[in-house]
Amino acid sequence: MKKKLLAILLVSALAASLAACGGSSGGSSDGSSDGSADGGQEAAASDEAIRLLNGKPEIDAQLKELAAKYKEETGNEVSVETIGGDTNASDELKKMYQADNMPDIFVIEANQAANWDGLLADLSGEAWTNDTDYELVDPDMGVIGFPYTVEATALAYNAEILEKAGVDPASLTSPAAWQAAVETIDGMKADLGLTAVFGWCAEPANLGWSSGTHVFAQYLDAGLAQDDTTYIDLLNDGGKIDEARMKDFAAFVGMMNQYSDPALLVDGTYDNQVAGFAEGKYAFVTQGNWINGAVTSNAAYTGWGMGFAPYAFEDGIDTIIAGPPSYWTVYSEGKVDAAKAFLQWVSDDSAQDILVNKAGLISPFNDCAFKAADPFAESIMGYMAAGKTSGWHTMLKKDGLQNVTCQVFADYAKGTLDQDAFVSTMAQVISSYYNN
Amino acid sequence: MKEASGSRKLFSLICLIGGLVLLIWSLALDFMGTKAGYRGALLVIGIIGIIAGMYFLPTLKYHRTLIYVIFLFPLLFAFAVTVIIPLFLGLFYSFTDWNGIRYKEFVGFANYARMFRQPSFIWSILLTALFVVFNMILVNLVAFLLALLCTSKLKGMGFFRASYFLPNLIGGIVLGYIWQFIFSNVVTKIFSGMKYSMLASTNTAFIAIIIVYVWQYAGYIMLIYITGLNTVPGDVLEAANIDGANATQTLFQIKIPMIAPTITICTFLTLTSAFKQFDVNLSLTNGTGSVANFMGNYLTNGTQMLALNIYNTAVVENEYAFGQAKAFLFFIILACVSILQVRISNSKEVEL
Repeated sequence: MKKKLLAILLVSALAASLAACGGSSGGSSDGSSDGSADGGQEAAASDEAIRLLNGKPEIDAQLKELAAKYKEETGNEVSVETIGGDTNASDELKKMYQADNMPDIFVIEANQAANWDGLLADLSGEAWTNDTDYELVDPDMGVIGFPYTVEATALAYNAEILEKAGVDPASLTSPAAWQAAVETIDGMKADLGLTAVFGWCAEPANLGWSSGTHVFAQYLDAGLAQDDTTYIDLLNDGGKIDEARMKDFAAFVGMMNQYSDPALLVDGTYDNQVAGFAEGKYAFVTQGNWINGAVTSNAAYTGWGMGFAPYAFEDGIDTIIAGPPSYWTVYSEGKVDAAKAFLQWVSDDSAQDILVNKAGLISPFNDCAFKAADPFAESIMGYMAAGKTSGWHTMLKKDGLQNVTCQVFADYAKGTLDQDAFVSTMAQVISSYYNN
Repeated sequence: MKEASGSRKLFSLICLIGGLVLLIWSLALDFMGTKAGYRGALLVIGIIGIIAGMYFLPTLKYHRTLIYVIFLFPLLFAFAVTVIIPLFLGLFYSFTDWNGIRYKEFVGFANYARMFRQPSFIWSILLTALFVVFNMILVNLVAFLLALLCTSKLKGMGFFRASYFLPNLIGGIVLGYIWQFIFSNVVTKIFSGMKYSMLASTNTAFIAIIIVYVWQYAGYIMLIYITGLNTVPGDVLEAANIDGANATQTLFQIKIPMIAPTITICTFLTLTSAFKQFDVNLSLTNGTGSVANFMGNYLTNGTQMLALNIYNTAVVENEYAFGQAKAFLFFIILACVSILQVRISNSKEVEL
């Protein structure tokens, strides 16, 4: 009898452990976002809520505020889940898709659209599409991406230093003008308290995205109209480059190498680069308007103005790259209508108030009345109003290409490649990346 | 429990059949794609039913086997879910054009053929092989010397043992970032002749990875050697001492032959772990570094080892199926090494 009791006890213990296993695995499958996305708790709150997967951790709090406002105004719930830091949203989305746990609205970069072929809702005909020039349009899938912010990248400048040096940023539209300006500033380095003219960092292991994607973007788009895809088409056609344009670009990058801070150039970090700019050590820095938070919160920042100057590596280049680096898309098997209503609401005033004034984003909508708090906003809005913006077509290059090109930038910066070798090596590594 | 009673038989059958029905029902629900929330509970109850049925099944002949299976079930289940099923799924995906989301067509052996035409991948294989050879020798040498030091009669041995072992307790990623800082900011200041960090060019970056790896791993291998050295019987050493053997002779004629099995174990431990090197590689250089001319190509993945190459192919370059094919090759290489290891250690044990 005793033995039997023991046996039953053991079996029930086994069963209990099994049930616990089953229970916990079931629990983690319907809330698998909980661990990685810090908005997961709210996701479980209601089945009616539409779920938004955000890829920008810095605006997480503001998006939650946005969701609260939406609930207050319409009674509908939106739960915001944020993926960020070292996990990127596209990896997390793959897991969510495999687990049949897709959010209704999620963030993608332009070149990821093809992966989701057939799974994205067509948003054409929505009212907001008339108010913006920045929606993501796919020839087969229609309007698939909702732009929620505009980001810009070019050579960010410190207006105070340029003014003291007597350089007008608006005049920097040719290589000759750049050369003259850089030499002027370099000659006054001691007076201006500068370490170097450029805060340009070509370190490949951690900053490869900066050189390989953003600086490389200037080769693809600088000087082109927003929808001009000449060089990205050439690139995606088996990895071809325009040698003449690349050569001019190489000369410009060579000038940046020459006048950059050697301590930063080859083995610096993003933090040092941005901090150096904030402390007034560099007149120009090769980043975009996302550095505004880090700069303005730096203790050494004294409130000077900032703006963008174009990478004028050919005569007459007067545009900066500006546009949405990523988009919100609607999952076609999710709550499409509720998601569309939400996106329409986001494009209107009460939501734009939060996104622009609190999250510090620059609105992609023409009818937006708010002016962003971003110190770069004035300069970016100026380019946008004048139609002098180029597209973010660098996001359409083959995945991972930046890891290849950033190394070529680093070797050029280090001096193991000269200008001609930079062009030929760039051509060779890109072509071999596309064809192997 | 000599005779199977009728009620027991009935109960067992009900459990078995009921469990099977529930199991099939829940799986059917899943395949039909319903969102019914109760199907997980159905599945679990079904499995419990089957297990209970098996347990109460009135058979004397298979009773023992059934009980063994039941008690092994949690382990077998976990092993299948985490190892066996992913292995075969991975093999399956390597023959498709899977992009991490879904696959559209089967491509046969195209992924496998493609990887051997990719100079950067071949470079990664060769680099990994080189890394393994360097590490097998260096880690074992350093660890053995440390072990000799830590078994001598010096003061404060406990402290030294602990501090040599400490690096192994720090995670590889953290360690990589710490050393990245050291190489970029400290080493360049000490040797003022160095213009850039060691990590900026391929050859020195490779040496840097080896240094960090030896630093991290030697302490762990040292512990195994210490255990080995402590098993050398004192009377043998004493006898050698009386016979007039000096320290070198004792080391080479007595200690090393006596710890031969330990050496085998340590060699294979360093071999397999060096093959799988990933975290330090990722955080220290992220595979960067250029190779001017390899198979007619300018390579930009100078310090990228096999595991990191596979990870980058799948996750960064978004070619999951291709990465999976590479991972399968990696599996075959590691499986061969492991089988070899088991063979050699077995034959050693017979000799002793």
